[in-house]
Amino acid sequence: MAGDSILFYALSFLIIYFALGVLMNPNPIKAAFNLVLAMVGVAGVFFHLQSGFLGGVQLAVYAGAVMVLFVMVLMIFDLKKERDAFSQGFLGNIGKLLAAGIVVSLVINNVILSSDLQLATSNAAKAESGRDTTKILADLIFTEYVFAFEVLGILLLLVAIGAVSISRIKGGTHADS
Amino acid sequence: MGADLFEIGVNTAKLLVIFLMMVQIVPLLVWVERRGSAYIQNRFGPNRVGPLGLTQLLADAVKFIFKEEFIPDKNRRFIFYAAPVVALIPGALAFAAIPLSIPISVETFELFGQSWGPYTFLFQGYEVGIGIVFVLGVSSLGAYALLMAGYGSSNKYSMFGALRASAQMISYELALGLSLVGILLIFNTFDFQQIIDAQKGQMVIAGNALPLPNWGIFYQPIGFILFVIAVFAETNRLPFDLPEAESELVAGYHTEYGGIKMNMFYIGEYGHMLVASGLMVTFYFGGYNLPWFLPQAEELIASYGNVMAAVILHLVFLAKVGLFLWIFVWVRWTIPRFRYDQLMDLGWKTMLPWALANTIITAIVVFWMRS
Repeated sequence: MAGDSILFYALSFLIIYFALGVLMNPNPIKAAFNLVLAMVGVAGVFFHLQSGFLGGVQLAVYAGAVMVLFVMVLMIFDLKKERDAFSQGFLGNIGKLLAAGIVVSLVINNVILSSDLQLATSNAAKAESGRDTTKILADLIFTEYVFAFEVLGILLLLVAIGAVSISRIKGGTHADS
Repeated sequence: MGADLFEIGVNTAKLLVIFLMMVQIVPLLVWVERRGSAYIQNRFGPNRVGPLGLTQLLADAVKFIFKEEFIPDKNRRFIFYAAPVVALIPGALAFAAIPLSIPISVETFELFGQSWGPYTFLFQGYEVGIGIVFVLGVSSLGAYALLMAGYGSSNKYSMFGALRASAQMISYELALGLSLVGILLIFNTFDFQQIIDAQKGQMVIAGNALPLPNWGIFYQPIGFILFVIAVFAETNRLPFDLPEAESELVAGYHTEYGGIKMNMFYIGEYGHMLVASGLMVTFYFGGYNLPWFLPQAEELIASYGNVMAAVILHLVFLAKVGLFLWIFVWVRWTIPRFRYDQLMDLGWKTMLPWALANTIITAIVVFWMRS
């Protein structure tokens, strides 16, 4: 399928471009916007691999909720000092180059080592012909991986309670209530 | 997109038409909003230009396009220009995924010395198997337009408006998603088409036909109320329009915008309203079906042909959507704005627990009914 691979390579190019943008951009807010676009690209790859549910959740949770919070918090803080510290000087540039190099080598490594890519495509085709991928996913989560799923849920609950308690110690918006 | 040139062409044209539908409904809605507000407040509203003031919209459009642009003198120009364009994307993408009527089947036919078909064209931009997850995911990206506008304007009021908007949207997105879980559990699918098909005909409980249509609202009344409230907050309209509260923030995130750019934010907002009304109709009011007054889709096809049946059902859908758009206008000019802490308390302390309770009770009942 030529069309499929064109779409895949275009999406990959965009994801890598925006991921590099996250690293290279001196302005934290612009870097965060780049990260959002990279996540939208990843959602596109999920859609392209016929796992629409993962794509939709990626959009709603990561691109929609988590990154909005990120951008919001970045806007609340005064980031001038951090920007100056990270956007100037020899060390900062070396760090950026190193990080970009690690990313590129990871990507190349994955491309060379991935014979699994074929497998994933054939699995997706199988899922498409059989039942809905969402139902397969739900079956797996609630039978084979139910323990890991529940443990993750408890972990997230603990994190939420911890965050609330820390913010209440420091005052917070409803300190008196 | 399709197997051959004809199918690809039709599908592309369909996408364009649905986008234009969203854009073209905006002037009409602005007219409804202005006349409606005037009616509610015992005024006249725009009534000088054309019959009932209808051509006022054309004058407005000309003014929007030819107005002089003002650009803040700061170096965030790209984000400033990109924000209004980004505002259009979520509404357009989400609206194209909602089925507006029954699919149209085309038999094999001869054209240019070649035989084409048979085809089945869906009456929607494109079909996503996961329907509602896609729509929720895409419309949650709407917050970025506001954040970009606030940041790109480099203006305190815009920034505050953007921060408020994003906080509000995140808070109510939870309640929005949870309020829909009940209906998804009952219909046991994410797919819009299957949800609409499940709501056909009369309501039947334990073998007794009740004098009610088989619509989602009768199964999920609390879910519907929560969904409506959350949707009002998501579209940033009164009583939840704190991001653009005039008395505090000038005009919030679009303080610095004028002319056509301002208009694009309007289109985005009305697009959100359109998607929200479409979702309400699809989930809670039976989509394009109308029991008793109209026969089932199959009988309509048999007596009027496929295309006419699709058009009739599409008009039914549009009428239902129009009703909810009117409710948006009605509420806007009836209820005053919340205070910010009231808004957050409502979102987190009232809506979220109710939505959770609704989900749990629905899950128990559904489990008990099916086992």
